Amino acid sequence: MTATTVDRRAEMTALVQAHQAGVWRYLRFLGCDRAEADDLTQETFLVVLRDGFEARSPAQTAAYLRTVARNRLLMARRKRGNRPAEVELAAAEAYWAKAVGNKGLDDYLVALADCLQVAVTARVRKALELQYRDRASREQIAAALEMAAEGVKTLLRRARDVLRDCVERKIRR
Amino acid sequence: MSQPNRPNRDDLADRLMDQALGELLGGETPPDLSQRILVAVEEDVSPSQPRKEHVMSKSKRIFRPLVLVVAVCLVVGVTIALLLPTLQSNRGEWARNMVEPSAPPPSASAPMEFNSSPSRSEEIEDEEVLAGRRYREVPGTKTEAAVEKKAPDRLAPRPSEPSPPTATPDLMSQEGPVAMDPKDLVSALPETPLPGEESLSLPTEKRVVHGGKHRQEGEVARKQLSDSSVPGESELGRGPGRGGDRYDRVVDNAFKTVKDHPLSTFSIDVDTAAYANVRRFLLQEGRLPPPDAVRIEELINYFDYDYAGPDDDVPFAAHIEAAGCPWQPEHRLVRIGLKGKEVASEERPASNLVFLLDVSGSMNSPDKLPLLKQGMKMLAEQVREQDRVAIVVYAGSEGLVLPSTSGENRQAILDALDRLEAGGSTNGGAGIELAYRTARENFIEGGVNRVLLCTDGDFNVGTTSQGDLIRMVEEKATSGVFLSVLGFGRGNLNDAMMESISNKGNGNYAYIDGPTEAQKVLVDQIGGTLVTIAKDVKIQVEFNPAQVSAYRLIGYENRILAAEDFNDDKKDAGEIGAGHTVTALYEVVPAGVKIDTPSVDPLKYQPTAEPSEPSEQSDEMLTLKLRYKQPDADHSQLLEFPLVDGGKSFSAAGTDVQFAAAVASFGMLLRDSPHRGDATYGAVLEIAESAVGADPHGYRAEFLQMVRRAKALAGQ
Repeated sequence: MTATTVDRRAEMTALVQAHQAGVWRYLRFLGCDRAEADDLTQETFLVVLRDGFEARSPAQTAAYLRTVARNRLLMARRKRGNRPAEVELAAAEAYWAKAVGNKGLDDYLVALADCLQVAVTARVRKALELQYRDRASREQIAAALEMAAEGVKTLLRRARDVLRDCVERKIRR
Repeated sequence: MSQPNRPNRDDLADRLMDQALGELLGGETPPDLSQRILVAVEEDVSPSQPRKEHVMSKSKRIFRPLVLVVAVCLVVGVTIALLLPTLQSNRGEWARNMVEPSAPPPSASAPMEFNSSPSRSEEIEDEEVLAGRRYREVPGTKTEAAVEKKAPDRLAPRPSEPSPPTATPDLMSQEGPVAMDPKDLVSALPETPLPGEESLSLPTEKRVVHGGKHRQEGEVARKQLSDSSVPGESELGRGPGRGGDRYDRVVDNAFKTVKDHPLSTFSIDVDTAAYANVRRFLLQEGRLPPPDAVRIEELINYFDYDYAGPDDDVPFAAHIEAAGCPWQPEHRLVRIGLKGKEVASEERPASNLVFLLDVSGSMNSPDKLPLLKQGMKMLAEQVREQDRVAIVVYAGSEGLVLPSTSGENRQAILDALDRLEAGGSTNGGAGIELAYRTARENFIEGGVNRVLLCTDGDFNVGTTSQGDLIRMVEEKATSGVFLSVLGFGRGNLNDAMMESISNKGNGNYAYIDGPTEAQKVLVDQIGGTLVTIAKDVKIQVEFNPAQVSAYRLIGYENRILAAEDFNDDKKDAGEIGAGHTVTALYEVVPAGVKIDTPSVDPLKYQPTAEPSEPSEQSDEMLTLKLRYKQPDADHSQLLEFPLVDGGKSFSAAGTDVQFAAAVASFGMLLRDSPHRGDATYGAVLEIAESAVGADPHGYRAEFLQMVRRAKALAGQ
């Protein structure tokens, strides 16, 4: 094995390890289920590496990978005969770029973890845990929190709004 | 109001928050796809793009004229083939009616032209000869079949004729033509023949060796196989002397009442062959495996679990855990996990290895000898200066290709592997004799002495009976030489024989379905494959009737021992290698929960023994007892571990328990087990996805892929 081959392999490995989770999360945000996100992430890197990818800054790389991933998703949807969703994807990309940026979701998650501790009450936190961790139904959440089922939807919506404001503030800082 | 296609900012913000909360609270974290992607990049396999497309596009200009020439030749060849009977019949008439011998028949040049410019049927026959398929069929019928089979992309079917069934369209039909999982296209790549094509690759040379009777049988089998309309039916095992993979029947362990059977005894098993074979069926061939190919314990034991190793002098540590049973909510699940002591590469004892390689005609297939050579070269690269390797091959007769050679001379080992070619019949028995003799002659005291048998298992000359082979290996195992069996290929894979001789020969058995598995078995887990840290490891579980009314061992059907075998040191049992993990699951029916088990009539000639009083005082659910011998010892040692069930729910169990339970459910579904309860492929997926854990090699992610494929194939 030549030194160039070894370097190239190390470069590929570094690229994949640094960005695969980000691409996967982005695809999930665009509406892929887990299996589709797995496949399209793999395909994105295959396309990029096959075309002789050259190293750029991490931010540029992340943006480039997102573009390739979005195009692969569009092609997959077209192949399945689904209506192309360029407009929806463009809007999603614009929001992702603004809210998450090229650093990936990690900063967003760190900020959210903080906000969960400081911005919402223990009762709201419990409601969120029941919904996301235990996948409890609205009725089950209502029973656990001793409240009316119709109030759960409002509680969760408000909680998400509060968290969103909190996260955006933290990220802007 | 937003347009239907354009979500507003709030929708997107909600979506992002939802995803982030799902990841943070619900554990929906991204899987580690690094390994999978890098492997795919190496192989340049895209989930939704045929493998060769890129290369083809680059070389299209070069190949286009060639393709045109081939197409013209095909059309000419097919036309001639169709006209030939008429021409021959006309020629016959000319011969009969010939008045002037000097008059040349008008079409005399036709057969000559046919010979000098071979038709597609002859090309196919040539290919078959090259591939070791040296048989001939009745002219005419073969030509038609071959043209139908080989040129579907050139001869467009009439609209009224449905395409012949293949595995891939079956898969697509599950979800409609547009709903095919991109991964499914991987299996549709032309890198492996379709199941229907396999029917042509029977080891006919072997039948010829057996004489006329077998030859006829081979031809009858071929006829049946080519008549089969079910893709791959040919490979589901047709018994000795017939084509097809061969599996021993596996009958799921039934529930046993603690009152009648308080002890459950079995031998450990570290084999993983069934998992790789099931993966081959699902991911390479796109079909569900036959139930008897699914040995659940081998599926479970394919994965590493995060059990702590021993911290004292014993060769392995045991871990027991009880939790809710995901497919039967009233029952409990008990997981027994063993972890063998790790041996660092530099501490691995000197090795005396004998590669016993099947180079018979049946190995002449890309997934057999070439893969075998690749795998053994990987292993040869791991050999150190203090190790020795000999290579014994067998076909019609056995031979020592490379005498025991020091690892210092690694190139000689690699060169010897390079020179191997396939051909002839399979005298496996003679090969085993020579390999063990070579191992004994170069025996290293205190070292690793092991024969590695690489074969498809289709022994057909010399000692061929499974019973005789088992007796031979059993006797050889007493010499202190261990055995590893590596299975290759499909179509005539004798899984039953390979599993049996590995069990009886102090051995382990893995199936190599591709370079990645070769890497896992022969490089990544070389310590576990080569270095035995304890032998004759037996497990006996005593259940407390005060806590348990009945139980069922999941898997290990061909490893069950009699209760009295546990203390009998003459009774052989399984080996555990360095760093190996072994997992066994029991489905336990708690006391007081009703279970239907067949009743037995009261005895007529002796009073039925009254069961002793249950141990009301004890809150223990069971006691696990283990017996093992040091690799060079004759006497076993005993370990005991009691378990108290804390009533833990399944969701509170460790991820390893959850993942093992998902694999067990998957196995039960593939086997269509009567004990599968509420299990569905969807539930397996849900549990396994949440329990993937670190998964550094991507094995668990690949398992998810297999479950998704099985789910689609089963139409769930």
